[in-house]
Amino acid sequence: MSPELVFQQALNGLSFGALLFILASGLSLVFGMMDVVNLAHGAFYMLGAYVALSVVQSTGSFWLAMLAAPLALGVLGFVLEPLLLRRLRGRHLDQVLLTIGVSLVIVDVIGQVWGREVRSLAAPAGLDGSVALIGGVYPVYRLFVMAFGVALAAAMAVVYRRTRIGMLIRAGVQDAEMLGALGVNTNRLFASTFATGAALAGLAGVIAAPVFGVQPGMDTDPGLLYSLVVVVVGGLGTLSGAVAGSVLVGPADTFGKVLFQDVALAVIFAIVALVLLLKPTGLLGRIRIAR
Amino acid sequence: MRWALVGVAAVVLVTFPYWSAPWVSRFATTLVRDALILAIFALSLDLLVGRAGMPSLGHAAFFGAGAYAAGITGQRLGTDQLPVTLGAAALVGALLALVIGVLVVRSEGIFFLMLTLALAQIVFAIAFQWTALTGGSNGLSGVGRPVLAGIDFSAPDLMYVLVAIAFVLAALVIWGLARSPYGRALSGVRENERRMRALGYDTARLRLSAFVIAGTIAGVAGALSAYSTRFVSAQDAGLANSVRAFVTVLVGGAGTLGGPIVGSALVSLIERVVPSLLPTDLRISEAILGLVFIGFVLFARQGMVGLGRSAYQRVQHR
Amino acid sequence: MIEVRELRRAFGGVVALDGVTLTLAEGERRAVIGPNGAGKTTLINTLAGETAPTGGTIRLAGRDITRLRSWQRARLGLAHVYQRTELFASLSARDNVGLAIAARRGPYRVFRAAPRAEYSEGEAVLESVGLAGREGVAARELSHGERRQLELAVALAQRPRVLLLDEPTAGMSPLETARITELIAGLDRALTILIVEHDMDVVFRLADRVTVLHEGRVIADGSAADVRGDVRVHDVYLGKAVTVA
Repeated sequence: MSPELVFQQALNGLSFGALLFILASGLSLVFGMMDVVNLAHGAFYMLGAYVALSVVQSTGSFWLAMLAAPLALGVLGFVLEPLLLRRLRGRHLDQVLLTIGVSLVIVDVIGQVWGREVRSLAAPAGLDGSVALIGGVYPVYRLFVMAFGVALAAAMAVVYRRTRIGMLIRAGVQDAEMLGALGVNTNRLFASTFATGAALAGLAGVIAAPVFGVQPGMDTDPGLLYSLVVVVVGGLGTLSGAVAGSVLVGPADTFGKVLFQDVALAVIFAIVALVLLLKPTGLLGRIRIAR
Repeated sequence: MRWALVGVAAVVLVTFPYWSAPWVSRFATTLVRDALILAIFALSLDLLVGRAGMPSLGHAAFFGAGAYAAGITGQRLGTDQLPVTLGAAALVGALLALVIGVLVVRSEGIFFLMLTLALAQIVFAIAFQWTALTGGSNGLSGVGRPVLAGIDFSAPDLMYVLVAIAFVLAALVIWGLARSPYGRALSGVRENERRMRALGYDTARLRLSAFVIAGTIAGVAGALSAYSTRFVSAQDAGLANSVRAFVTVLVGGAGTLGGPIVGSALVSLIERVVPSLLPTDLRISEAILGLVFIGFVLFARQGMVGLGRSAYQRVQHR
Repeated sequence: MIEVRELRRAFGGVVALDGVTLTLAEGERRAVIGPNGAGKTTLINTLAGETAPTGGTIRLAGRDITRLRSWQRARLGLAHVYQRTELFASLSARDNVGLAIAARRGPYRVFRAAPRAEYSEGEAVLESVGLAGREGVAARELSHGERRQLELAVALAQRPRVLLLDEPTAGMSPLETARITELIAGLDRALTILIVEHDMDVVFRLADRVTVLHEGRVIADGSAADVRGDVRVHDVYLGKAVTVA
């Protein structure tokens, strides 16, 4: 492989990693706070992309879509948590099963409303060109994805460490019941957390759309599967875990696909299995194992 | 006396296409056949989910592996003999379950769930991309007709009979296992693993044995599916198929013999019959299944069998 | 029968067992007492194999069992009754005991229901602990005292050589305590029993010898009368610092 190709693939890997971060951070947040592996996370991601599709079709604005999709998903998450999940408070396995049902519904409804063909979403004007870099040209949009991911991570880090909300989140990841005992409205906290997780998934859906397209099956691949991979490898429940996971999995997957082609997917999941076996909480994870 | 009834029911079930011919179409035979295959698959999963307390979201790996094994051995060895291809499916299911089982058996709950999901995805990925062996994304077509003792079971009615007999046998096996000391030990592991170990049970090995048995039966179900449709797709080993089986078990009632059976009846009804009742451009059977599933998880966790039991108890107490 | 040497168990920075040495002869009834936090439950859990020691050895009938898992020790004749009730809640008393009996006969029996002999053995054990008539009741529906009786029944159904009892009378009324105490007192003399207890009356009724633990170390070991008179033991219970002899 030539150095130019390596450089290109490295950029691809990093932009994929940035995307994975936006996608997986929501899953990690929800798991950390609520001990629920939201298996509908991929469906939320998919819904975000399709909502963006409609918004762009009617208004022509990608930027509007970038606001609308997370907002829509956030509202959905805010409604779903008290409606469904809250009834099963304390029954974590059953909550996970519930999210499976939610996923089935959302994915099928998407197919019914938007159709089951492969669609696409163009990058917004201004970001749809290429830029001259070492080794040739590189799509500007992918650079944007990288920048956005970094910015989001930085913003989340600030919120996490410097604000009251962040403190609540950190405390909640440690022990949500304790928070309740201290007088925090855990109902609102959980609903907001779930909504945020959904919104992040939706945001990922919009941003990923120009790169990965909008089609049936995206809820599983890359949606749920890659979020699970990142979260398990990097660490469940922590922001740094989501970052670590994305930074590792993004380039690994990209290079893996280039070098090993056929076997790449198998290798990724083999890594997941390995991590789950050796260090179930992930490399940087910090959760207590719930039943 | 009870055995006589069971025997009669089995005969009625196995001969369904013949005595029902005047009233129902061929579609009904296909529908029941596929429901029975799902029932076998679900019964095997229930051994894990319902009895041993191991919530697996990767069970389709064995179903798919069995399907591929049946198809591939038939083609590569140039044989149609049922014992060979079905035997291969069972063997592959067992071996794969052993390999995966060794890795997953020490995890519990949500971690077990994620681990089985991840490992099944590896199997799916291999099936999807090893085109030379499995046909890759195009699938494996031209699965051979199953032949036993000179009878070609690929005729639709005979295929049904084959599946129905397999179902009866599988149900008997599962029933026998559940009642035996082995089945009780599995229930003990589900209820309180720590205590079981204190009593002298090697719980890891118990779980592994359950995993292998379940994988073997799932492999057989996969083979039957391959024979029925003459085709194997990578999706047979995919997440959607694992989810489908899980939904079936829960909706029917985990931990019971009747649960997976009525569950597969309901799921088949929703997937195959409901669409014909809706306008053709309204394709939301999966959404309906999802809603039904959510309903059961929230309000009837013990499934239809559980609902039946509560109703029965309420009637009895009058 | 049981030989424990220099047993150590540390949880991170906290040292729960700090070089415990004790020996039980076959058929001996030994009580282990000590103030809260002395390490009594850790000792039992380490003996039972639920926790691996960070140092030291354990021998059962001369055989080194330090590295064996809990189920392996159970197969060698070690039975453990937990401090907090650990039964199979949804199963009946009969089925609870049945699992213990089936463990001895081997769990991989398939295609055959359990033989009659196992059922009658189960009923006999239940009767011996005073649960005759309650066999079909689900464990979760028994009273607290009955559950502790069932715990004992399950352990006895294992036909153990050594019985580890972790506060068997915890949370019981005086009547229930007396009943359980008499039950234990009446057990086969060939059975070696190690019992962790807080209730001194129970200790003096049951124990041949008493071992006193404090901060993970044995500070006194002798007959019940000797320990009763030991000044250091008094000090330990009163919270004064004690130097280990």
